[in-house]
Amino acid sequence: MASSSHSSNFPCAACKFLRRKCMPDCVFAPYFPPEEPQKFINVHKIFGASNVSKLINEVAPHQREDAVNSLAYEAEARLKDPVYGCVGAISILQRQVLRLQRELDAIHADLIRYATATCNCNEMPPPMGRTCFHHNSSGNIYYPNPQWNEPYEGNGRSDGGSL
Amino acid sequence: MTLKGGATSACAACKYQRRKCIPECLLAPYFPADQTKVFQNAHKLFGVSNIVKILRSLDPSQHAEAMRSIKYQANVRDRFPVYGCLGVIRQLYYQIQMLEEEMHTVLTQLEMYRQHHHHQQQQQQHQHQHQISSMADDVISQLELGMAPSNNALPLFNQVTHQPYTMQNTYSSSDIDSPPKDNVENNSLWIQHLFFDTNNHGTSNNDSPIAIQSQLLVPNSEPLADTQHQVVQDYDEIHPFFDSIDDRQSYIDTKDAEDSSSSEESLKETTQLMVGNVGSKDLKSAAACFSLTSVN
Repeated sequence: MASSSHSSNFPCAACKFLRRKCMPDCVFAPYFPPEEPQKFINVHKIFGASNVSKLINEVAPHQREDAVNSLAYEAEARLKDPVYGCVGAISILQRQVLRLQRELDAIHADLIRYATATCNCNEMPPPMGRTCFHHNSSGNIYYPNPQWNEPYEGNGRSDGGSL
Repeated sequence: MTLKGGATSACAACKYQRRKCIPECLLAPYFPADQTKVFQNAHKLFGVSNIVKILRSLDPSQHAEAMRSIKYQANVRDRFPVYGCLGVIRQLYYQIQMLEEEMHTVLTQLEMYRQHHHHQQQQQQHQHQHQISSMADDVISQLELGMAPSNNALPLFNQVTHQPYTMQNTYSSSDIDSPPKDNVENNSLWIQHLFFDTNNHGTSNNDSPIAIQSQLLVPNSEPLADTQHQVVQDYDEIHPFFDSIDDRQSYIDTKDAEDSSSSEESLKETTQLMVGNVGSKDLKSAAACFSLTSVN
């Protein structure tokens, strides 16, 4: 929840760090309260204050807090892991999804084998269908919600977007 | 910025910054001239200086991987300006939750099939035992009537004694690792063994190993023993009946036929003998009663 109460006597974490006067229309003030100095420090270290300011202004006002929080999360992850940042967590989770899908496939195979070999199919309900998670030919994961489809793989040869 | 002569084109970073792309350019290997959009995304999120700062803090061997993740993160942020990679992570968590729920449901379904299979096999077992007992009753009733029991009934008595061992051997040869145990609850059909071999469960993230167990159908020999006992009891009850009729010859002959062979021919011969012996005695006594002169 963005801090609604803003006073010029209490500069926000950004202005305090940047050692400047915190104006009433400070773009950082609602999202970087003085009680959380580390949040702005991390974001500034990785992305830079000017970039964050531009990103905040590009999104709708009601989405700015979420945008700032996601930037703060990514900045903290990049500081902890300078090589992979939050992308490392994505890679781990994708591998876990793949592993679960393989296990589920194996269980489904056993279930079908068990059901057809020993039971009368008319008496028992058919095995439950699988949740549909698609894979492309390269093995990247597409998500059920098309909004979260994996980003494009760059303009040219090297894959700028895929893991 | 293109050098004079156009021998080497500047990287996307240097082109954007409108500066000379030196051979030692740190970003040149990762932002070729034709990937301007990728560089713009990275520059928009991180900025050139911050990217160079990150690369300089790392070992050169890690530069490629770091740049790969930076470009990925920037592209995701370009596509999803509000949530960026955090949104991707949340979506993956959601997928994992859905998969785990589905797995739980499928395991429940598998348990249902296992219980149904167990119930079916028990029913078949009971039906088989009932069949045995009914056939035994038929044989006994036939013996009471002095008839030769049917061919297929006699081997049944042999089957009754050997049935438990056959069933145990059948189950021991199936895909079961653990030997059959006396307690039905501890018996298990290890499907887990099958798909643990195909899926290496070694990660620490897997806190709940998937154990699929079903009860092994131990042949319950008690109903069969009861049947045997019942058959023996019935057999004992027949003895006094035959004794009262005093048809010992026929009974003994019949029992001999059972002991020796089950062939119909031997039984027929015995029957003929029985009839022949009885007939001659009766005829003589009858003749003695009705004729004035002795037969002899």
